[in-house]
Amino acid sequence: MTTMDPSVGTDRARALFDEELAGVTSAAALQDLRNRWMARSGSWVAAFMELVASAPPDQKRALGRGANTLKKHVEAALAEREAALAATRRPAGAVDITLPGRAPRLGCRHPLSLIREEIGAIFSRLGYQVLEGPEIEDDYHNFEALNMPADHPARDMQDTLYLETPLTPAAGDPPTRGLAPRAPQPLTLLRTHTSAMQIRQMERHDPPVRLVAIGPVYRRDSLDLTHTPMFHQVEGLVVGRGVTLADLKGTLLSMATALFGPGQDVRFRPSFFPYTEPSAEVDIRCIRCNGGGCPMCKRTGWLEILGSGMVHPAVFEYVGYDPDEVTGFAFGMGIERVALLKWGVEDIRLFYENDLRFLEQFGR
Amino acid sequence: MKVLLSWVREFVDIDEPAEAIGRTLSLRGLALEGLEPMGDDALMDFDVTANRPDCMSMAGVAREIAVVYGLPFRAPSMRVGAAGPGAPDAGAPAPPSPLPAMPITIESPDLCARYVGAVADVTIAPSPAWMADRLSACGVRPISNVVDITNYVLLELGQPLHAFDHARLAGPAIVVRRARPGESLTTLDGRPRRLTSDMLVIADAERPSAIGGVMGGADSEVSSGTRRIVLESAWFKPQSVRATSRALALRTEASMRFERGADPTIQAVAMARACELLAQLGAGTPGPAIDVHPVPHQPTPLHLAHARVQGLLGMPVPADEVRRILAALGFEVAPAPGGWSVVAPGWRVDMHRDVDLIEEVGRHHGFEHLPATFPGVEQAPAPSDPRIARDARARKVALAAGFSEAISFAFIEARHAGPFQGDEAAVALANPLSEKFAVMRPSLVPGLVEAVSHNRRHGRRDIQLFEIGTRFSPRGEMRAIGLAWTGLATPDHWSGGRRDVDFYDMKGVVEQLASLFDVELTAHPPAAGSVAAAVLVPGRAAALTSGDRCVGWLGQLQPAIGDAHDLPASDIVYVAECDLDPLSPTGIAPARMTTPLPRFPAAVRDIAMLLDESLSAATVRGTIRSNAPATLVSVTEFDRYLGKGIPDGKVSLALRLTFQAVDRTLTDGEVEAATTAVVEVLAKKLGAVRR
Ligand SMILES: [Zn+2]
Repeated sequence: MTTMDPSVGTDRARALFDEELAGVTSAAALQDLRNRWMARSGSWVAAFMELVASAPPDQKRALGRGANTLKKHVEAALAEREAALAATRRPAGAVDITLPGRAPRLGCRHPLSLIREEIGAIFSRLGYQVLEGPEIEDDYHNFEALNMPADHPARDMQDTLYLETPLTPAAGDPPTRGLAPRAPQPLTLLRTHTSAMQIRQMERHDPPVRLVAIGPVYRRDSLDLTHTPMFHQVEGLVVGRGVTLADLKGTLLSMATALFGPGQDVRFRPSFFPYTEPSAEVDIRCIRCNGGGCPMCKRTGWLEILGSGMVHPAVFEYVGYDPDEVTGFAFGMGIERVALLKWGVEDIRLFYENDLRFLEQFGR
Repeated sequence: MKVLLSWVREFVDIDEPAEAIGRTLSLRGLALEGLEPMGDDALMDFDVTANRPDCMSMAGVAREIAVVYGLPFRAPSMRVGAAGPGAPDAGAPAPPSPLPAMPITIESPDLCARYVGAVADVTIAPSPAWMADRLSACGVRPISNVVDITNYVLLELGQPLHAFDHARLAGPAIVVRRARPGESLTTLDGRPRRLTSDMLVIADAERPSAIGGVMGGADSEVSSGTRRIVLESAWFKPQSVRATSRALALRTEASMRFERGADPTIQAVAMARACELLAQLGAGTPGPAIDVHPVPHQPTPLHLAHARVQGLLGMPVPADEVRRILAALGFEVAPAPGGWSVVAPGWRVDMHRDVDLIEEVGRHHGFEHLPATFPGVEQAPAPSDPRIARDARARKVALAAGFSEAISFAFIEARHAGPFQGDEAAVALANPLSEKFAVMRPSLVPGLVEAVSHNRRHGRRDIQLFEIGTRFSPRGEMRAIGLAWTGLATPDHWSGGRRDVDFYDMKGVVEQLASLFDVELTAHPPAAGSVAAAVLVPGRAAALTSGDRCVGWLGQLQPAIGDAHDLPASDIVYVAECDLDPLSPTGIAPARMTTPLPRFPAAVRDIAMLLDESLSAATVRGTIRSNAPATLVSVTEFDRYLGKGIPDGKVSLALRLTFQAVDRTLTDGEVEAATTAVVEVLAKKLGAVRR
């Protein structure tokens, strides 16, 4: 606090006031400051006014102007600070708005469920019906109608899990066409792909067909970084007049773009599946390195993502479609594979541990 | 299929490095799986698909390379006698030796269409280094010159050969026939094999000496003492070899080729090649080959319409290109109306229809030329499986209630499934991967408890998990939602209010799920022997019904079940399971007309009744409802108090009664009278006293 001494002059007094005001943080301190500078008697301003009154007439005018300027400055600065202090004052009953809120607990989505839903939505948008179907199947729908009669070597490609005791299927709508036995067959195995559902659909409906079948499938694969005995598959089927392999390419390109963002490319490599001819493995341009080569794509610039092809005429004969009238394409993709690529997951087993530390990384 | 680049080069003059060849072939149908440089040579490992047994040989892979690079291919039939490693200078062929004739009889021509045999006098010795090295590189252990020659021809041409010790054949004779009842054979691997009458054997005059196309017998095996052999080059029916190989659990290089289909036209060529190598290596002097060929190969011409190529592929392939590709692959191509008449070569056992030809054209023309087009839409899409939308709605409720989504394996340990099966049998797997995946889950809850346990072991205290999936019983599949909850009821907060999850937290979630589908659930004490009675703590267990259907259960998990999943005994876990199909098969709550908003105000009265503690809220509510005036629109329990001021065995139950009429404002008198009526009925029927 400064000692009052008007002999220092108004300019010096103003600088002293500003210094003191800068240190004021409370209403009480502000009142004290006001008293010492503005009180009717004994204050700085009062002292200056007395000085003016007692000055010789020729100095009165100049001293008076200086004193008035100081007074106005002090008044204005005090008012401004008073308003600023008022603005920061906590109203009665105020809460600490910086404490954490009471958040409702929200669950997290499972990544496989997210991808499954996303793919379903993509194909719904493209005008496909989305189907699920039974997980326990008969041999006819899982193998035979897909051009894999008993003892077909391709059955080795999918090591199958069988039931100890076959189940009796629920009575349902029998197939209306094709070579399927009209009586329901005993359910003997866990479906190795969702293709069985496609057969069931074709057996009951005329072409055109435009569907994806999604759901869990089962194979006798030991658990490792890239295999689980149960995994999820999405399989697409389009049948109609003039459906071509090029249509499949356009469709898959569009799916890849929807799943992984713009700028995708797909590559077809000839392959073999008993239920398609021609058959192709499909790669997408590596989403990590964009084709430049990286560990994820084993430096090839491409990522294998699905198997596909043109529906084999024998399959059409099994379901009672005329292979001279219609053509079709089909593709099958592992949902885990998409999730592994999309999120850079390195161990497929994480999808089945249901570890919350993992699940919480996929948002709510 | 392991392929040596130098060996392949005996059939095609390819100068490209192995890596480039591999990359190119991968886009033409032969995927390169591995590449091992070996000096100026290279070992390439191709993944040969099941339909291409013709590529399970050096010559077959060379043929593909020739087509891909547009190079001439030296066919094996043209090559016999041509230069190769270790080939002698062209000299006079060895003079025919006076070897005894070998009678060959095919009694089962349906399983063996052709049998070429030759007798040879041999001097058993190790193979020269070049041959032994090639075999070793391709993963075949060198044994002796004669055996190595059979393996060498197999790798080179894809035709399996077999050598018998002539001295060990009774007769001597070769009889190709089905095994007779009771016959058995000790195979080369030293194991006795019991034969059945659907298995084809190569027998001598008395007994089997080989299982046709699968493995030879130990007794007639070529040994260091062998002086004279019978060489076999035959064609066996794929299905028969496959069935035999499977039945005996015996897979060999030979069976793998025969079961996929060997070239029915190459047996004599392969025999000539083997005899040539015998002479070349100084391993033996072969006699003339005897070719018994009861079923000649008669390929069916396929018609390929040019328009169909573009119709299926969606890209144009010029006629010249179609012809060039097919001809280079060894097909006979003749013009036919609208396209061509095509005859497949003997080695292409995978050619049955025009689409097979179109695939050949497509892959060699190059799938990279495919444009990206879209199939036309001819009609509106058919509706999707209604369960998808329904499950999505149920999922939303569970997520909003704080449950995270789990996905578990559908097969679990039998001991974990047991308590959840009720009086039903397990749906067990015949060939499970392990004990951990032995039976199909009868309930989603064991998987969730396992997941709770996993998270507890990793330091989590508060866990809420749900799963929507299929549960299995001998009656079939059922889509259900399972829930598990342990720890705090609500998230920890600085303001306090910590409370552990209890029965009513879980019940509330299940009620919300049911109300989502406009279904009213009723809770009952679980029946003896039911799943709920087996897996839940008595007194904290409820079976849930909708109408007269049992749709699920909920309550506190029996500690013994938690213990089986390694959960600490002090953990309290609430679980629930609800079948979704009976709640709503379609996912859509039945549409209901709206009711107009009430025009007259409601009157609310609270009453507190002293009741026997054993009386359930449902009984109290039911008593009120069945005796209430029409103006009573709702009854809600809002407090339940036991303890100080309440006599033992009694409970104070506070009820909020809401009265309302559609046509008028109720008077105080009417409301009082109605309230009194409720109190009186509770007093009369349940012995309740108003407090
Ligand atoms: Zn990459």
